[in-house]
Amino acid sequence: MIKYFTDIFTAISTITGGMLITLNHLIRAKKGIATLQYPEERWPRPERNIGFNSESYNVIRSRLHVDMDDCIGCLKCERACPVDCIKIETEKSPDRGNDIKDINHIGITTNGTKKALVVTRFDIDMTECCYCNLCTYPCPEECIFMTGGPNGKKHPIDYEFSEPDRSDLIYRFAKPGTKEGMENILNEKSKVEA
Amino acid sequence: MTVDFIFDGLNQLFPAVAGNDFFLIIAMLLPVAALLGFITIYGFGVIYSEIKVSSFIQDKTGPMGQGPGLHAGKWGLLQPVADGIKLFIKEDIIPASADKPLFILAPFLIFIGALTAFIAVPFGEKIIIVDMNIGIFYIIGVGSLAVIALILAGWSSNNKWALFGGMRSAAQIISYEIPAGISLVVVIMLASSLNMQEIIAYQEGGLFNWIIFDNPFMPIVFVIFFISALAETNRTPFDLPESESELVAGFVTEYSGTRYAIFFLSEYANMFVISAVAATAFLGGWQSPFENFLNTPAWSVFWMISKTFFLIFVMIWVRWTVPRLRVDQLMHLCWKVFIPIGLFNVFAVAIWIVVIG
Repeated sequence: MIKYFTDIFTAISTITGGMLITLNHLIRAKKGIATLQYPEERWPRPERNIGFNSESYNVIRSRLHVDMDDCIGCLKCERACPVDCIKIETEKSPDRGNDIKDINHIGITTNGTKKALVVTRFDIDMTECCYCNLCTYPCPEECIFMTGGPNGKKHPIDYEFSEPDRSDLIYRFAKPGTKEGMENILNEKSKVEA
Repeated sequence: MTVDFIFDGLNQLFPAVAGNDFFLIIAMLLPVAALLGFITIYGFGVIYSEIKVSSFIQDKTGPMGQGPGLHAGKWGLLQPVADGIKLFIKEDIIPASADKPLFILAPFLIFIGALTAFIAVPFGEKIIIVDMNIGIFYIIGVGSLAVIALILAGWSSNNKWALFGGMRSAAQIISYEIPAGISLVVVIMLASSLNMQEIIAYQEGGLFNWIIFDNPFMPIVFVIFFISALAETNRTPFDLPESESELVAGFVTEYSGTRYAIFFLSEYANMFVISAVAATAFLGGWQSPFENFLNTPAWSVFWMISKTFFLIFVMIWVRWTVPRLRVDQLMHLCWKVFIPIGLFNVFAVAIWIVVIG
C-alpha cells in the first residue's frame, strides 16, 4: 500500500521534472538552437597551423581556380594533369602578324606576357580532380591555383561542392560566348579571303 | 443557440415564407460550414505549432525559410499548407484484400465523431451551435464514436499491424472513458447540471470561482481528466494504437493520401474538443479570469480559445517529454490508479458539498 503511493509520487515528481527540462529548452530556444540554417549559416572554418609559414605555402587544396585574364593558353596544366580533368581549347588571335615580334596581342597578363591565343574552352571537371596540385607548378603565369593557398586569398575557400546537378561540378572558366565569338570572327575572315 | 438565431433571422428577413423547413436546413448547414472552415484553419495552426514546439524542445529550429518560394515561407509558416497539398495529391490506395466499404467508411466515421462533438462546445453566452441540456454527456457519447472508426480502420485494412492498432485503441479508449467520465461526474455534481452553459455560469466571477479551485480535490480530478483525455485522443504517451516503432503506423498503416489526412485532422480536432471540454468544465469556459475584466461576448471567444489552446500546448508539451507507455502499464494506470482515486474523489467531493459547500 505504501509502495502504491510512493510509486504515484515518483511518477508525478519525475514527470514534472522532465516537463520542466523540456519547458526550459522551449523557453530558451533562441539561444540554445544546436542546428544551423545550412545554406545561410555555416560553421566557421578552423584555423590551420602546420608549424611553418603557411602564407607562402598551399596549405589547403580546396578547389582549382583559374584567373582567365592571366591565362595564355599554354596547355602546360592540361599536360601535367594525371587524370586528364582539364580540357583546354585555344584559337589563334585573328589579326596576329607573321613575325613573332609584331604580335597583335589581345591583352597583357599581370606578369607582362602578351597573350596571343584566345582560350575558347577551359573546363575543369572537379568530379575527376584528385587534388594533386601538379597542374599549378608548371603554370608560367601562376594563374591556375588551389584556393586556400597564397593566391587563394582572392577567393573564398569552398570545400562543399554542393550543386543541384552533377554536371554543375564541371567548372567552365572560359568567358561565356568566347567560342561562338571566335567562330563568327573566323568565318567572316574566311569569307572575306574567299 | 446559433441555429435558432439564424433561423429567426431568416424568418424575419422573409416573413412571407417564414418557418419552412428549407430555412431550418440553411440554419443548420451554415454553422457546420463555418465549423469545417474553422477546423481546417485550426488544423494548419496546430500542426505548425506542433512542429515548432517539438523542434524548440529538441533544440532545433523546425522548418525555416527566407521567404515564400522554394522554402516553406517565412519561419516555415507554409509548411502545414505544403504538407496538406502533398497529402491531397498523393495516390489514394485501397489494398486489394481490404474490406472496401468499411475501409472507406472508417475515416468519415472518425471525422463525424470529431465534428459533431464541436456542436456543443460553447464559445460565448450566445455563441454555441446547439445549446443542449445534456451537452457534456453528448460530447462524451459522441467522442466514443472514434472507437468504432478505429476498430473499423484496423479490421478492414486486413493487416496484422492495423488490427493490433485497432484492438489496442478499443481497449485503451473504452478503459479511459471511465476515469474521464468519473472526473466529469464530480463537475456535474458541483454545477448540478449537464448543460455546458450552466456549468460555465456556476464558475462566474473570476479565477477563484473556477471549478479547478473549488475545493482541494479538484486539481487531482482535473489531472485525472486531462490525462484520460490524452489517452482518449491517442496522443503520446498513450499513442499505442499507432505506435510507429512497434506497429508501423497502427490502424492507419494501409491508409494514404486524403484518407490519411482525414485521420490526421480528426486527431487534432479531437484534441480541440477534449481541451475545450476541460476548459469548460474546470477552467471557467469563456469566462474571463478576472471579474468584470474584458468580459464582453467578443472577448469570450478569445478567452475560450486561449484556454483551449493553452491545454493543447500542454498536450504537445507532454508529447515531446514523456515516452510511450507499455500496454500493461497503460492498463495499470487506468484501472489501478485513476479509477480508485477518481471514485475516492467522487465521494470526497460529495461529502465536501454536503458538509461545507
